Amino acid sequence: MIKLLGRLQQWFKNLALARKLILVNVLLIVVPLSVIGAYSFSLFASKMEEQVGKYQLQMLKQVTLNIDTYMNELNRLSLMPYQYQEILDFLSTTRKSGEPLSLQEIDDLNNFVSKVFLNGRVDIMGISLFGEHGASYVVLPESQYMTTYQLGGNTEWLEKAKGRFGQPTFITTHDVSSTSGTVYQVFSIARELRSFDSGDTIGYIVIDIDPAAVRKLMSQVSLGSKESLYMTDSAGDLVLRKEKTAIYPPIEGLSEEGVSHHKVDGRSLLVAHVSSEVTGWTTIGVVPISELMKDSLVVRNSIILIGGICIGLAVLLSVFIAFRITSPLRMLRSLMRKVERGDLKVSFPVTQWDEVGQLGNAFNMMVSHLSELGYRLYETEIREKDAEIAALQSKINPHFLYNTLGSISMYAEVEGNREVVKMTNNLSRLLRYSLSGRKDIVTLRDELDHVQGYMTIQKMRYEDRIDFRLEVDESLYGCPVIPLMIQPIVENAINHGLDKGIGEGRIQLSCYQEQGMLMIVIEDDGIGMTSEQLNAMRERLNKIHDLGGTSGNGLMNVHRRIRLHYGEQYGLQLESMPFQGLKVILTMPIAYSMTG
Amino acid sequence: MKGLSYRSFIKVGFTLGIAASLILTGCSHNNNNEAASAERKASAIQLNYWTPFSGGDNLFMTEMVDEFNQEHEDIQVVQMNSRLDDYYSRLRTAILSGNAPDVAIIHASSLPQFVQNGYIEDLSRPAQEIGLDWNVYNKAIMKAALFQDKPYAVPLDTHVLVMYYNKTFLEQAGVLDAAGKPVISKGEAGFTKFLQTIKQAVPSDVAPLAQPSTRIDSVWLWWSLYNQIQGGGQFYNQKGSQAVFNNPAALKALRYVDGLYKSKLIPPNIPDAFKLFNEGKAAVLITGVWATGALEKNDQLNFGVVPLPTIYDKPAAWADSHTLAIPTQHEMSAEKREAAMVFMKWLAEHGAKWAEAGHVPSESAILDTEAFKALNYRSDYAAAANAVALWPKNTKQHSFIEDIIKQFERMNYGQESPEQALQKAQNQINLELSK
Repeated sequence: MIKLLGRLQQWFKNLALARKLILVNVLLIVVPLSVIGAYSFSLFASKMEEQVGKYQLQMLKQVTLNIDTYMNELNRLSLMPYQYQEILDFLSTTRKSGEPLSLQEIDDLNNFVSKVFLNGRVDIMGISLFGEHGASYVVLPESQYMTTYQLGGNTEWLEKAKGRFGQPTFITTHDVSSTSGTVYQVFSIARELRSFDSGDTIGYIVIDIDPAAVRKLMSQVSLGSKESLYMTDSAGDLVLRKEKTAIYPPIEGLSEEGVSHHKVDGRSLLVAHVSSEVTGWTTIGVVPISELMKDSLVVRNSIILIGGICIGLAVLLSVFIAFRITSPLRMLRSLMRKVERGDLKVSFPVTQWDEVGQLGNAFNMMVSHLSELGYRLYETEIREKDAEIAALQSKINPHFLYNTLGSISMYAEVEGNREVVKMTNNLSRLLRYSLSGRKDIVTLRDELDHVQGYMTIQKMRYEDRIDFRLEVDESLYGCPVIPLMIQPIVENAINHGLDKGIGEGRIQLSCYQEQGMLMIVIEDDGIGMTSEQLNAMRERLNKIHDLGGTSGNGLMNVHRRIRLHYGEQYGLQLESMPFQGLKVILTMPIAYSMTG
Repeated sequence: MKGLSYRSFIKVGFTLGIAASLILTGCSHNNNNEAASAERKASAIQLNYWTPFSGGDNLFMTEMVDEFNQEHEDIQVVQMNSRLDDYYSRLRTAILSGNAPDVAIIHASSLPQFVQNGYIEDLSRPAQEIGLDWNVYNKAIMKAALFQDKPYAVPLDTHVLVMYYNKTFLEQAGVLDAAGKPVISKGEAGFTKFLQTIKQAVPSDVAPLAQPSTRIDSVWLWWSLYNQIQGGGQFYNQKGSQAVFNNPAALKALRYVDGLYKSKLIPPNIPDAFKLFNEGKAAVLITGVWATGALEKNDQLNFGVVPLPTIYDKPAAWADSHTLAIPTQHEMSAEKREAAMVFMKWLAEHGAKWAEAGHVPSESAILDTEAFKALNYRSDYAAAANAVALWPKNTKQHSFIEDIIKQFERMNYGQESPEQALQKAQNQINLELSK
């Protein structure tokens, strides 16, 4: 488990930033919204069910109350015989079955029954009076009175009415048939009539009522579609049922009143029931919960729809935001990859000054520092090479060379060979300048002296075929310059100007000042260069820093050194025309301070 | 970013949204069909219709009301039936308490008491509006519904006193002819002999003629017989200021009726003559035509029916009519009145159906229809509707008849002679008339 959690954590850590953001956002949106939705709906549903239950109970109480009121009316009606002494007298008489009544009795009974009918409600269907000793007067619907009925026989109602100390009893719906054969459904109230004097039971009065009246009371309430509304007596037998209602299996075990859930045949039913103290009947309302919850389904669907739309929009928005936030980071990463491959000419466009913008800015700074650092490194490498050369040079003992050259010079003096003495002395000076006591900075005079020494030797070699001219602005002699800077150019001029055998061997060296810069111009009248050669040469000069300083002739070397030393704007320029010679211009800054 | 793009997320989002909306639309279906029909019924004009049927004919009326309600979407008739014994006191109370029904059955004999003081509406104009032709109804009955030449009620039927007989018993006694009709000789003696022959032939617990000793039945019989006598049938004097039925003709008729009781040809102490006949305990029953429908249902009973025999000079039988009237209400909309008229007209037009209860339809034309002719028994007494003895029109006729009943009951129980009964009844009525 922990391992799995760890793996999950690792998986999340490795997830792309945008995905992380989306995932977190979606979780933050979906989870609370779903939880709130589900919770509020379940709360709503349970509250609604509770309310519906209460409401139903209230309805049932109301309908039961109405029915009770109605029953109480009947109850009072059944007391009427006590106000008619002649009726009590009639019931007390001992009679045979079907014994004819006297005209007076007929009058009295008819009068009494008419009073009950008129004072009662229209839905009274029949009235029966039974005496303990055989008297009877029974009026059924659509019939004339009958006197043939006898008490006895274990009629159910009688059993119920007996021994209730004059309390009425309500008899559930049963059939009575009129003399013409029509069968009517009635329910009845029966009451035991007792004599005040003797305390004995005199007889019974039974009033038959059309159940339609009570049904009507019941039909005034509606618990909802697929409802079932009915009444049962204390034994659980059906008294009557509201018309056009569904029928569910009987529900057992109901107490006084209340709302309860029952599961019958796989259906969840909400059962409300109220017992009447008057009739002892229980009014029961049954509604399938699925019917009650129909309305709540609409609410649920609304919650789902609105929630779905909100979540969808929020998810889309969070995706958009996640991409928006991470897009500069992704750009930075791709730039980083370019830098990794060596491309330092990249820049991150900083458009905002948040953390990402600051990061981009830092990146830009880093790249620019990196490229500067690379340049420095390059320079260092060259210096190291120079140092190497210097080291190599130092391996030859210059003094031995100088002494030997001194000896040669002396022998030549002795022999009287002036030429050799002159050459040897100049060579010795050249070597001394080039190899020993080498300084980083020399004056222009030193440099020019060196060139002149060199030219002396060359003139002797070329037997005055060289026409060397020197023009120097005297004020510039003290100018500090890089050593061995002019001599390689002059050597190049001799090689290209004289050795190719074209021209008169004129080499013009002029030093002057122009726009605050020291200009050193070496001109020859040699073979020159074609424009292609010149362009190629100029190209090479411009790319000089790319060449790594490993190769190149004297021109390149000088050009590179000037640039390294003074900067990019200085260096070496070439001008040439084919067969007209080559003009090399060295430019560098003037500094007079170095006279000493 | 592999596999993750705006597009895929948008796609997911839309799918979610569409799915959610589909669920919602799928669940919010409601079928309102039932509600619609219930609503239409609820908006229909409701007519409260009171009836006093207690002779088995209520069943047919209920059927007719149901049929009418089915045919008329815009009118709903709610019938309330009560015992005839209590009906009029109920109706009077309802009218006096401003609680009257929209349509009520009123017997033609009781119309005067409701026409007085405008308790029921003059129907001349409403009838005109719905195109009701008064000429289609039986002349004698229509006359009973006219007051100062204005119709106050739509006659529904004629119910006349007829004679039912148990064919089995009559055959046993040999007083049944080949056509199944009773063989009765002329005059009082003829009818008495007819009953005596039966009495000798049938078991002792079978009544030769079943008539209750109480209630109105003996009055009906007396009134019928009194009207059969030439020059009889007078109840009031010409002005209507005095009762004049205490005369030799009336006494003759009453003496004959009393004789039937005295000779036990009508056994004493019969509470329910119909029940007796229906149970096969009576050979002859004289009662109204309404018993036909109920007796027909009894498969055990082999019975026939004829108009009341002419014992005296001319045929005549007590008759009355159920008429339909609109009790005056404080405020009755024209729509409701029209609906009531439509209902009343419809009931009269469907007299053939009502005839199934036993009554003779009020529309004379119905007697010739196939539907009516197809009914057994009815045609046997349809002719009796032409020789009817209606009660005279008097606002207090109803209570006067109660007075007569009271005296006749005493006579039946042997407490008074026929002379005393007539005398006392007339005196009582004259006393009330003089008030």
